[in-house]
Amino acid sequence: MRRLTNVNPASLVESVERLTADGTRAAVVGGGTDLLGMIKDDLVPTEVLVNLKGLTERGSLDLVETEPVGIRIGGLVTLAQLSTHPLVTAQYRGLAEAAGSAATPQIRNVGTVAGNICQRPWCWYFRQNFPCYKHGGNRCFSRVGENEFNAIFGGGPSYIVHPSDTAPALITLGANFRIVGPSGERVISASDFFTLPRTDVSRENILEPNEVLANIYVPSTPGLRSTYAKVLDREAWTHAVTSVALALEMDGNVVSRASIVLGGVAPIPWPLKAVEELLAGQRITESLAAEAGRLAVDGAQPLSKNGYKVTLTENLVRNTLQSLANEV
Amino acid sequence: MNPVSRRAFLKSSVAVTAATTFPRTRLSAAGQEPDGVPPAAPQTTISLRVNSERHTLEVEDRWTLVELLRDHLQLTGTKVGCDRGECGACTVHLDGMPVYSCSQLAVWADGREVTTVEGLADGVHLDPLQQAFIDGDGPQCGFCTSGQLMSAKAVVMTNPNPTEDEVRQGMAGNICRCSNYNRYVAAVMSRPPQQASRLDPLATVGVSHPRIDARERVTGLAQYTGDVAVPDMLYARVIRSPHPHARITRIDTTHALEMPGVHVVLTRQQCDVTWSSGDSHNPRYLFNNPVRFVGDPVAAVAAIDRHTAEAALKVIDVDYEPLDFVLDHEEALLSGIVEVQPGGNLSPRRDGERLPEIYQRGDLDVGFAASDVIVEETYVSKHHNNAQMEPRSAVAQWTGDQLTLWSPTQGISNTRRDMARDLDIPPERVRVICQYMGGGFGNKNQNQDSDLIAAVLAREAGRPVKLELTRKEDFLGVHGRWPTTQHYKIGASRDGTLQALQLRGYSGMGPHRKSSGGIAGIELFRCPNVRREVSPVYTNMTVAANFRGPAYPQGVWGIESVMDQLAHELAIDPLDFHLHNLTREYNDETPYTSWSLRECITEGADRFDWANRWRQPNGRTDRVARGVGMAIGMFAARLGRSSAVLRLEQNHLWLHIGVTDIGTATKTAMAQIAAEAMDMNLTDVTVVWGDTDQCPYSVGESGSRTTTHTGHAIIQAAEDLKRQIAALNGALGDRPLIAQATPEPTIEGMARYASAAHFVEIEVDTELGGIAVMQYLAMHESGRIINPLTAESQIKGGVTMGIGMALHEELVYDRATGVPVNPGYYGAKVMTHLDAPEIEVHFIEPIDTFGPYSAKNVGEPPVIPVVAAIGNAVFNATGRRIKELPMTRTRVVEALA
Ligand SMILES: Cc1cc2nc3c(=O)[nH]c(=O)nc-3n(C[C@H](O)[C@H](O)[C@H](O)COP(=O)(O)OP(=O)(O)OC[C@H]3O[C@@H](n4cnc5c(N)ncnc54)[C@H](O)[C@@H]3O)c2cc1C
Ligand code: FES
Ligand code: FES
Repeated sequence: MRRLTNVNPASLVESVERLTADGTRAAVVGGGTDLLGMIKDDLVPTEVLVNLKGLTERGSLDLVETEPVGIRIGGLVTLAQLSTHPLVTAQYRGLAEAAGSAATPQIRNVGTVAGNICQRPWCWYFRQNFPCYKHGGNRCFSRVGENEFNAIFGGGPSYIVHPSDTAPALITLGANFRIVGPSGERVISASDFFTLPRTDVSRENILEPNEVLANIYVPSTPGLRSTYAKVLDREAWTHAVTSVALALEMDGNVVSRASIVLGGVAPIPWPLKAVEELLAGQRITESLAAEAGRLAVDGAQPLSKNGYKVTLTENLVRNTLQSLANEV
Repeated sequence: MNPVSRRAFLKSSVAVTAATTFPRTRLSAAGQEPDGVPPAAPQTTISLRVNSERHTLEVEDRWTLVELLRDHLQLTGTKVGCDRGECGACTVHLDGMPVYSCSQLAVWADGREVTTVEGLADGVHLDPLQQAFIDGDGPQCGFCTSGQLMSAKAVVMTNPNPTEDEVRQGMAGNICRCSNYNRYVAAVMSRPPQQASRLDPLATVGVSHPRIDARERVTGLAQYTGDVAVPDMLYARVIRSPHPHARITRIDTTHALEMPGVHVVLTRQQCDVTWSSGDSHNPRYLFNNPVRFVGDPVAAVAAIDRHTAEAALKVIDVDYEPLDFVLDHEEALLSGIVEVQPGGNLSPRRDGERLPEIYQRGDLDVGFAASDVIVEETYVSKHHNNAQMEPRSAVAQWTGDQLTLWSPTQGISNTRRDMARDLDIPPERVRVICQYMGGGFGNKNQNQDSDLIAAVLAREAGRPVKLELTRKEDFLGVHGRWPTTQHYKIGASRDGTLQALQLRGYSGMGPHRKSSGGIAGIELFRCPNVRREVSPVYTNMTVAANFRGPAYPQGVWGIESVMDQLAHELAIDPLDFHLHNLTREYNDETPYTSWSLRECITEGADRFDWANRWRQPNGRTDRVARGVGMAIGMFAARLGRSSAVLRLEQNHLWLHIGVTDIGTATKTAMAQIAAEAMDMNLTDVTVVWGDTDQCPYSVGESGSRTTTHTGHAIIQAAEDLKRQIAALNGALGDRPLIAQATPEPTIEGMARYASAAHFVEIEVDTELGGIAVMQYLAMHESGRIINPLTAESQIKGGVTMGIGMALHEELVYDRATGVPVNPGYYGAKVMTHLDAPEIEVHFIEPIDTFGPYSAKNVGEPPVIPVVAAIGNAVFNATGRRIKELPMTRTRVVEALA
């Protein structure tokens, strides 16, 4: 491995200062499960690791706590904690399921939720260091290449898919992210956090290199049911081929509000606004679920080898909707 | 014999930097740098507890936790299989929780508590899980075992009575490429193994015994090649071609050689050693120009530590002139396509003719004329990797002109022979040691280029050299199973009798052909008119060669799919179709020494309740479609030369055999045979193995031959020993007696084969494209089973590996650039605990006196019928056939569309 310097800053403010001072040489590290692999493979130029786990003043960064109107999750909370924490499993099952479906126990034991949200693409070409857009190049090799796992929505000029399992779940739950940067902090909705390649092909979210995702606020909503369903190519250790995060606010057996976001099919967690509108105020019947499935893939633009994802996504949305609605 | 293999060792002298000896660890090297030592990398003092012992040390910030444990604290029980969080071999506990120590920096463990496999036992008292792994035959090769143990331990620490599902979930992050998942789970569940021999067991043979070296494998004490450290050792790394085909126009090593800590840089210019077992037709140098596949070695470096070696690679400038390339084996034979090797892309036959390998009997025209139904179909299988858990590695040390090589080989005798030949030195100057090795499945049969590279670097450096391939290098630079395209045309008469059988097949060998390239399976059927024509073809994909059951799993998938289709078109139950058309004699002419294929099918079908479960496929579109499938397989159980030496001293027997035990429990089986032959207890036998200086020739653990070849040698040596004892008339005393034997048994005019019939039930999720194996039954005849416990593990593992081949694995290439895009466990989607179903295993045990105590073989047969059985079950469930591997969701959805 290249020479690395590990820095344990005292505070978030100091982390940001260090990130600012070292520019692209520096990166924030949570669990390191993604970043270390990228450094070993020379995918990123990082030489200085600003280690959040070494913060002496951690505050609430590694806790899940109750807020007056929901919960606050520290960015350093591990996927393992998130998937089993009573506050999460009780009210936000979709988030617990999403966190528990990622990777393996060993990765979940150290991988943080902030790191999961900020992990880089797992497109084969990016990971094999092809000179693609994500590496500062001027093409996307998957567009006409081995694109079995690439985007069917929102692609162009890059066709990566967003790999995070927790991100779609967080969006459906109406989460907000607290971001700390050089000019203080800001809070932004999870649904505004991710960036399409056509906006800026070099990044996957709005974070500046010297900003840190510090906390996640999830509001509490009475009568909310949520779930996360994921299709994998083997039963563990792979990112979603397609996934759906679903949250329903129910009034009896009528949906008062639905929130539905796909994972693994677009460069960002892919919201299904039209489906949400279709469901609002309705009772979920077999035919409505089928219609929702069809609408979910309306406008999909599959590449040469990933047309199957359209079929899978339609069926997954329909089935997940039906089973969540039928739960008592 | 390859004429180019006997070359001068080196063409010209090699660039060598100051040959002084440097201190190996530089924990105190900050500040003033001694000449030739790289400037210190950033360091931090940390304090942590490892297995309850407190350490305060200075570590480089870039060291991973596993690097600290293995390289600096000598705790080598924790293994590295991928260094990327993709395999689980490096699992340790950090503050009581399992983590991948390859994906954590050592500095992050500051103030924390680390537990490794070495910390599980309490002195001599094993952890109950370690004992359960021994009794339940958890480890095969053992390379994944410490990781499995640490995950299992975490499960029972939080939940002393877990359900089976909880165990699998907790161990989901630990791959076992030997695929002993059933055994590991059962051991954690404290479910004792059941298997027993059907024949009356003899005193020791036929009785289930835990492996005699299981304790070493569960405590982390077993020493694998990567665990070997010798004083003054340098670390090597290899630069590999990023191009599928290119001429190297310039290599500039100046900057690398100027780097402090770099000792040797080798390129083709200084080294024209050939790797003769790397190609049996064309010269294959350690460093080739042109380079012919992505991963072809270009240069190698030996430096003071692994980081310096890696840094040196980055400053070696190589200019490539890219050449046209071809990936597809059928396209490679078209005219106007680039020649991968001089003379054309059809690899020559043994006799040098550039013609396909042809087997023929009868007359196809006659056969097709007599056929009422003819099926013509094409099947396409892919390159996939052996992916053994232990990446290729080597440690080479010269003492004068004597080479000692530690290498994870499947045959120390062959490796010694090959090393001597390639280095042009007499075999007695080469010592090969392989005590434990982490699997190979056919890609560690001979010596490897990595063995030679380490040896040449060490000779030039005047210091020992360790070379460890990365997981990616192992996927690209070693070899995998050859991809095939199989065109079949098969005819049968209305009564279901085969009349004509034609295969035209192509195998993609990459740019070098080591061996075979065959497509086997049609010989499983009786048919008067047969023609098989197979073309092994050079391409610019990575090299392909032996992988478990080499020519069979893909060939049997093709032929068994077509047979299943034929049975379907004739409206005959595939079981009846098989029984009607089975081989009775090898190629319909050579009798078998014993033949149980029919019994395998009938007994397997009874146990599986085939008669009540098989239905004509109805093409229904249920959300979940269930189906059953069956397929058969055979594998040669050869006899041949091998040696054994027995030494009896003070009532204890020492058995010297040149085996390495690749995870098959060979050592245990050999000890059982020796104990049986000598009428002794197994505990009175000590096996001396894995070292050419202490062991006679053994055939090598490939081709499933060791039990028969070396087993015979042991029995014969024992007979001699017993004669010597008898001659002493009870006056044995303390005098040591020695006997040795090197029999070379043959079978004239007969064929000797192990056989198998597999039955599977699957579910196809027609909406999400998934295939799930619900029940798997493997019926095998492998002669007498020497050790039912470990033999069953072999079958379970082979079947599970076959399921991975059927459903997941493929090395995918970008067609435009010729670069593979998914090397590694993550991309190959190797089976995990959550994917592996329970495999039910039964043995038929005939008496076949040609084998030692009637034994045949168990290593390769279990993988053979698997892909075919699953493919046929998919057809039975859905009425559709998937004709290209692997059967991924994409292909299921396409097939159902
Ligand atoms: C083999 C494998 C399989 C995987 N499978 C899945 C899967 O199925 N589903 C899934 O969702 N994930 C999967 N992952 C990804 C895994 O979940 C992530 O590696 C993990 O969650 C990242 O967390 P971390 O804390 O280790 O991140 P790190 O490695 O520390 O960081 C990852 C990235 O996020 C940035 N970052 C980290 N923390 C912050 C922060 N607080 N603010 C701003 N930026 C930050 C880092 O700079 C880096 O770029 C897989 C990973 C591997 C290696
Ligand atoms: S070596 Fe760490 S997971 Fe493979
Ligand atoms: S025993 Fe698990 S990899 Fe060999």
